[in-house]
Amino acid sequence: MITGIIVSIIFLASLWLIFSEKLNRTITSMVGAFLIVGIGLLMGFYSEEEAIASIDFNTLGLLFGMMLLVALLEPTGFFQFLAVWAGRLSKGQPVRLLILLGTITTLVSMFLDNVTTVVLIAPVTILICEILGVNPIPYLISEALLSNTGGVATLVGDPPNVLIGSEAGLSFNDFLTHSLPIVIFVWLVSLWLLRYIFRQELKAVPPNVDALYELNPAESLEDRKTAQKVLIVLAGAIILFFLHSVLHISPSFVALSAAAVALVWTRPDIKETLKRVEWSILIFFAALFVMVGGLEASGVLESIVSALSTFKSIPPALFGVALIWITAILSGVVDNVPITIAMIPVIKGLGAAGMNIDPLWWALAFGAGFGGNGTIIGSTANIVVVTVSERTRTPITSTIWNKTGLPVMVTTCTVASLLYTLAYYFFY
Amino acid sequence: MIIQDWMKQNVVSIPYTATIREAAILFHKNHVGVLPVVDDQKHLKGIIRLQDLLSLELPDFYKLLPDFDFVHDFGAVETHQPSAQEIEMPVIKLMQPALFLEQTCGLLRAYAVMLKHDLYDLPIVNEAKELVGIVSRVDIGTAIISTWNTITESNS
Repeated sequence: MITGIIVSIIFLASLWLIFSEKLNRTITSMVGAFLIVGIGLLMGFYSEEEAIASIDFNTLGLLFGMMLLVALLEPTGFFQFLAVWAGRLSKGQPVRLLILLGTITTLVSMFLDNVTTVVLIAPVTILICEILGVNPIPYLISEALLSNTGGVATLVGDPPNVLIGSEAGLSFNDFLTHSLPIVIFVWLVSLWLLRYIFRQELKAVPPNVDALYELNPAESLEDRKTAQKVLIVLAGAIILFFLHSVLHISPSFVALSAAAVALVWTRPDIKETLKRVEWSILIFFAALFVMVGGLEASGVLESIVSALSTFKSIPPALFGVALIWITAILSGVVDNVPITIAMIPVIKGLGAAGMNIDPLWWALAFGAGFGGNGTIIGSTANIVVVTVSERTRTPITSTIWNKTGLPVMVTTCTVASLLYTLAYYFFY
Repeated sequence: MIIQDWMKQNVVSIPYTATIREAAILFHKNHVGVLPVVDDQKHLKGIIRLQDLLSLELPDFYKLLPDFDFVHDFGAVETHQPSAQEIEMPVIKLMQPALFLEQTCGLLRAYAVMLKHDLYDLPIVNEAKELVGIVSRVDIGTAIISTWNTITESNS
């Protein structure tokens, strides 16, 4: 009992430090993991072997493999090429430009990291808007919101999904059959809403369309050969993701193999490539797994289970909708990765208490994904577009975000809740 | 060799109460790249650079792009003009903190400071911290070269 209390205090204190941003999350989680393992060793409930075993290498491998592929694709100028191509295809018509840039950002962020996608596409978006002489705000905000939305659709789209997929044993195809249909609907609603919110800005006829045709997409692709090779490997990886449950291989094996093939095919400067991998996220994840493992070993999860068994009487569909909103509101205030990690033991506890938790995993994914749209700090992609907008004549302020991101978050969560309830009664 | 022998003593400066419009006129009239910003006692408050004014026309988003070889026409950016409101802003809004040297500073030290901080012009002050001159990298560089024996010999 006493061990459970000590471990819970360390876990909650670490979460508080991460949420309040008093200490960097990677540092906090490493210190937390060290404290929990140390106390586990002293009191004999958690060994080093158990701590290592509690790290979910499937999650880490999948993230690492995909990060390597992005690291190879990033310097080729492929993302820049896509944005320039979208700019030309729009013929300078604002609504078309919004839809094209939004679609590209969504499609890319369904398979690759949202933040990298936005970091690379946003500067070209500003360039296109400056050349056209239009305000870049509608396009930048739409890119962030739609990339967050797109990321929910697939197993590899967003770190919370990778975590949920791994913890709940969900395959790539499970996401395509459960999450993708809802995301498509939510995405269309978001796009319509953004078009409505920005109707004034999108009405203006750009004064300088001819200059847009002077942008040369071919020249913006700096290393065509490497880009082609990495894209072929990525396509192969996506096909294997579809088949991974049939072939009995893990998504992490697929991602790591793809990274290995891409590395040997393109033979980059490996030091430079490895620098682009987000080690802080990987270390943060590994340390959090060790902490959650300590929680389990100290018997805290059992206490959660008995506390949660009182919730069994609540209708499960209502419980799922409540979970979407709780996760979404929390994800609006703090990063959605620690939220997801904190929610996973709760959902597992409910499962152990006898509740059917299969639908709840989806509620968690929707809440964590769509909730991040509500505020600037809700997702890293939002922070990125706000930061780059500070280099333009019209920086994005929190007031602007509250008038655009917040309505989109509320609407998408409402739509997701309705679809979730419908799907629940049809399929469960 | 100290810097006061080589600095431009006739330095064009601007009072810190001035506007961007007044700065623009001074830049244009004197064909200079930097204006030291001073108070009534000639104390250095900061500097304003030509590029700070031009950032009103070309925001620095372009620095986020790895290159812009594929951009052949800057379109609306070419014809953009700062608004009347921006032009009437006080100069201190765009002012940068100034790095300065005392007039007794050695030439090579001054040159190293400029290289280290990637500066092209440096305001010079006296002991009372009053602005007394300005040097450019070219002023210092040519002054150093002029001391080389071979150069002095071939000149004579």
